[in-house]
Amino acid sequence: MIEWLYLAVQAAALAMSAWFFVDTARSQLVGRRHLIGVAALEVLLLVQLAVSIAIVPGEAGDGKALFFSYLVTTILVPVAACFWGSIDRSRWGIGTVAASGVIVAALMLRVHQIWELQVHV
Amino acid sequence: MSEAEAAPRALAAGFGRLIVLVYVVFAVSAGVRAVFQVVVKFDEAPVSFTLSAIAALIYLVAAIAIIRGAGALAMLAVGVEMAGVLAVGALSFAVPHWFPEPSVWSHFGSGYGYVPLVLPAVGLVYLFKRRKDA
Repeated sequence: MIEWLYLAVQAAALAMSAWFFVDTARSQLVGRRHLIGVAALEVLLLVQLAVSIAIVPGEAGDGKALFFSYLVTTILVPVAACFWGSIDRSRWGIGTVAASGVIVAALMLRVHQIWELQVHV
Repeated sequence: MSEAEAAPRALAAGFGRLIVLVYVVFAVSAGVRAVFQVVVKFDEAPVSFTLSAIAALIYLVAAIAIIRGAGALAMLAVGVEMAGVLAVGALSFAVPHWFPEPSVWSHFGSGYGYVPLVLPAVGLVYLFKRRKDA
């Protein structure tokens, strides 16, 4: 993994989460600006995936399938949270999407761990 | 929150929605991990891996029960989960050689940022609160 790209994804996920939790406190419904925020995070995650497809197969470790299964799951979580959260008519609609940012950060931590211990060895 | 008085809210609406998301994520991640561990290296740590599989199943039952509005079943699943994480957490400190590899619940879920400990507590509070409101 490219370290600065990984850190950018982490920063974006946590920033999105913080922003959405503020909107949870303000009882906002899921709106267009939130979807743009999620899209921005998704673009970064897809760049991460593209870069990984380029560099991971050339590595020596045996954790490549594990690596990609975690990364793909990570990419799907905010999308699922958007669908699941946007149908809610309370503040917890955006709260749910906010939580997905924390989940992405946690999963990316695991992806990075797999990279260091089981892929890039 | 004013619409709460007007019509009965689904168990999975409002804060329940966030809880369901976390339960589904845990059911999927613990489940896939447990299947992988049971298939590939069950003999290395049978207790840990069996417990991970049971935990995954309970997460799934809790998520489905909340989505379908089955309050009693949700309460039961989350209650079992709370008891499980406390018992397994304590056992993993008392009898560490049963847990050469961590399970979701060993050491009170420290490998998962203690979310496995916090989640059932939050879930129980939410379910009790919703039952009182109803």
